[in-house]
Amino acid sequence: MLRLRWGETGDTGRGLGMTGTAGGGPERVAPSTVEDLSAILKKATEEQRVVNVIGGGTRQGYGSPPLPDLVLEMSGLSGIEEWDPDDLTVTVGAGTPVAELEAALGERSQTAVLPEVPGASTVGGVISAGISSLRRARLLGTRERMLEVRLVTGDGRVVRGGGRVVKNVSGYDLPRLVVGAFGSLGVITSVCLKLWPMPPAAATITIDDIGVADRVMRPLAVLERNGVTEVFLWGTPEEVAASGGRLGGAAAQGHRWPADPQGPYRWSVRVPPALTSAAIARLPSGWDYLAVHGAGDIRAASPNSDGADALRWWVEASGGAVVVTEAPDGGLDGLDPWGSPPPGLDIQRRLIAQFDPGRVINPGRLPGGL
Amino acid sequence: MLSVDRVLEEPVELYLYSRDASLMQGEATCVVFPETTEEVAEVVRVAERYGVPIVARGAGTGLAAGAIPVDGGIVLSTTAMNQIDIDVENRTAWVGAGVINLDLSTEAEPFGLAFAPDPSSQSACTIGGNVANNSGGAHCLAEGATTSHVLGMEVVLAGGETLVLGGQAPDMPGLDLKGLMVGSEGTLGVVTRALVRLLPIEADVRTLLLDFEDLEGATRTVSQVIASGLVPAALEIMDQKMTTAVENWLKAGLPCDCAAILLAEVVGEPEAVEAEAALISRIGRANGARDVKVARDEAERAILWKGRKSAFGAVAQVSPNYYLHDTVVPRSRLVETMEEVQAIADRYGLDVYNVFHAGDGNLHPLMAFDASDPVMLDKVHKAGEEMVAACLSRGGALSGEHGIGLEKRDMMRADFSELDLDAQARLKEAFDPAGIFNPAKVLPEGSRCFDFGGVRREIPDGAWV
Repeated sequence: MLRLRWGETGDTGRGLGMTGTAGGGPERVAPSTVEDLSAILKKATEEQRVVNVIGGGTRQGYGSPPLPDLVLEMSGLSGIEEWDPDDLTVTVGAGTPVAELEAALGERSQTAVLPEVPGASTVGGVISAGISSLRRARLLGTRERMLEVRLVTGDGRVVRGGGRVVKNVSGYDLPRLVVGAFGSLGVITSVCLKLWPMPPAAATITIDDIGVADRVMRPLAVLERNGVTEVFLWGTPEEVAASGGRLGGAAAQGHRWPADPQGPYRWSVRVPPALTSAAIARLPSGWDYLAVHGAGDIRAASPNSDGADALRWWVEASGGAVVVTEAPDGGLDGLDPWGSPPPGLDIQRRLIAQFDPGRVINPGRLPGGL
Repeated sequence: MLSVDRVLEEPVELYLYSRDASLMQGEATCVVFPETTEEVAEVVRVAERYGVPIVARGAGTGLAAGAIPVDGGIVLSTTAMNQIDIDVENRTAWVGAGVINLDLSTEAEPFGLAFAPDPSSQSACTIGGNVANNSGGAHCLAEGATTSHVLGMEVVLAGGETLVLGGQAPDMPGLDLKGLMVGSEGTLGVVTRALVRLLPIEADVRTLLLDFEDLEGATRTVSQVIASGLVPAALEIMDQKMTTAVENWLKAGLPCDCAAILLAEVVGEPEAVEAEAALISRIGRANGARDVKVARDEAERAILWKGRKSAFGAVAQVSPNYYLHDTVVPRSRLVETMEEVQAIADRYGLDVYNVFHAGDGNLHPLMAFDASDPVMLDKVHKAGEEMVAACLSRGGALSGEHGIGLEKRDMMRADFSELDLDAQARLKEAFDPAGIFNPAKVLPEGSRCFDFGGVRREIPDGAWV
C-alpha cells in the first residue's frame, strides 16, 4: 500500500517525485504517473490539504489563488502519447509545453490552434485557464479543440470523457467542460486535441482602417495592437494573393504573432464581437492592448487599476466581463478578479462537489468564490 | 397554467408522441405545448410535485430513441417556442427551441448569414433537438457540430430554476454550463431558447463529384486533400449500392457503375474555391478518379446535395425498414472498418448501404430489412452491435452525431469504464437529483445507485388547467 507523508521526502516520497522543502512553504510534488497523482489527491482529500496545480506557471494570476499546502507540478506528465497525422488528432500529456507540441506538429504542417506566443504555458494550463488562440475568430477557441480528457478527480478517481475521434456525442461533454474550470473538476492528465492542417501560403497585411478588413470575408485573424491593425491570411497561394490585393496595405510573408501586452496589471476584456472597437475606446488611458476582432477578446496591461471599475461597469452592462489575469500582491484593492458572479452558482457548486468533494483543488479560485 | 388546447391526452395522440424516428416505442402520459420559458418552468414544477418524468421533444427525428418516454411521462413538445431574433452585427440569433433548423438559415439568408449545422433532417429537425444531440451534418467537417455554434441559452433546470447561460461575449467566467447542456439529450434540463452563432454565407462555392473504382481511392483522396492543408466544407462518400438506390429514386445523375463516389465542396473567396477545386480534382485523379464533375450552377449543386441528403429516404423506397448506426473511427482506419462492416453484413445475410462523412471518419452503415420478420429484426440488431464493436475496437466512438439515447446506452459500457460512467452519473445527479429529466437515456442503468423508486407514472386530473 502506498504511504505518503507530507513535509518529508522518504523513499516513498521520492518515488512519487516529491521534492523536499526547507522552511514553511508548500510541498511541491511532480507526479510522473497517473497512479501517483491519484494517490496524492486521494490523500489530499482525506487530509483536507489545499492543492494548487502548476503547468508553466504563466496563469497563476487568475482568480484569487488559494494559499496551497501542496503544489502539483505537471512536468512529469508530459509528451506526445499518440499522433497519426492522417487522423488530425493528437493525444498529449497535460504537462507538455504548448511550444513543444506546436513545434512537433508544425513539422507535418499541422497545428493544435493553441496560443501562438505561449511562453512556458503547458497544454493543461491553457485548457484549465481557458486561454484561446489569436486565430479564434476563424478557427474558434480552445474548447473546440477538445476531443478527450483524462483527469484525476479531487478524491483521486481516474476518469475519462470523450474519445480520440474528431466527432463524438457519447455521454456528457466532459472534455469541453474542463476548459476554464481551473482544475475544479480534477487535474487534467492528458487530452486528445483536434488538429488543423496548415495551408501552404501565409501573409500579414497592415491596414490603416479596421473597416478595410471587411473586404476579406473570413480572414484567419484581424488583430489590433495599440492602434495598429494587422490582417492575418492563410490558404492557397492564389487565395492569399487575391485577399492581400483586396486589402491593399503593406504586406509581409508569413505570420509574426504578437505577444499579449505585459505590465503589472493584466486584463482580459470580453465583449460581444461587434463592440470590440467600442470597448477599445473605453480602455483607460495608458493601457496597452491586443484585440482579436471578430471574437470580442481583448488582452490588456496597465501600470495600475485606475479606471477599471468604470470599464467593468460598461462591459458588464454590454453583456461581457472584465477579468483580472495578473495583479501585484495586494493590488486588487477590493476589485473582484472576475467581476459580478455568473449565473448558476448553485448548480456549479453541486457539480464541483461531485468531482472534488473535499474541494481541495484551487478552492475559491473560480468566480463567486467557488 | 396551460390551457386545455395545449395539452394532449387522447390515446392516438399519445401513441404518436411515444415514438421518434427510431424503431423503439415508448408510452406517453400526456403531451404539452408550452409557449414560454415560464410555462416550461411550471411544467417542470408540476412534474416534480407529482414525480412524473419529462421528455422534451422537438420534431422527433432522432434515430437513437432519445425522445421517447419510457414507461410514461410528460412529453414536452417545444414546437410552440419558435421565435427567431437575429443580431446582424454580432452574427448571432436567439432561437426558440422549436424552430426548425432550415427555417433559421432561411430567415438569416437575407442578411447574408446561415446556421452551419445541417443534419440530413434539417427541413424537419429543430434547434432544440440539435442542441440536445449536438447534431452534426455534412458541413461540420470545417465548421464543427452544434456545440461550436451555441454561445448561450435559456434553460429550465430542476425545481423550475431558469438560467440564462453564456452570451455573445466569449469565455464568460465560471464553468461552461451551456456547453455541458449541448449533447446532454434532455437529461439535465430543458433548453427553451438558444443563442447561436451565424456564419457569413461564403462568396463562392464549388461542389465536385468524383467517382472511383475502389473505395480506397476515395478515402485516400480525402486524406491527401486534408494533408495538403485544405479543410473543405464537406467530404462525403457513398458506396455503389447507396448511389444506385438514390439514382433509381431521384435521377440526380449520379454514376452507378463505380465502387464509390466522393462529394466534395469548397467555399470561400472566388480565387480560393477555383484553386481548391483544381487541387481536389488533381488529387482525386492521382488516386484513380475516373471522372470529376463540377456543378456548373446552383441547380446542379442542389441536385447533388439532394442526392446525398436523400440517401436514407432512397433506401426507404426499396425496403420496408432500415436501421443504421452512427459510429466514428479514426479516419486512417476507414477502409478496413468498411471492409469489416461488409463482412459482418454478409455473415448475417443483410444488405448494407453506406453513406458517410468521410472527412470526419463518421460512418452510417444502413441495413435494409423487413421489420415484420422478427428473425430479421434480431439479425439486424446483432449485426449492428457487431459493427459498433468493430468501430470501438479501432479506437472509434459509439456515436458521432445521432446521440446515445435509449438505443446505445447499454453499449456505453463497451466504451467507458465503471469510474467514467460513475462520473457521468454524478454529473447527472448534480443537475437532476430526482431523475425527472428524460430518465433511462444516455447512461446504462446502475451507472450509479440512483433511486428511481419514487418516480410515479401518473398525473392527477386537473393538474394542467
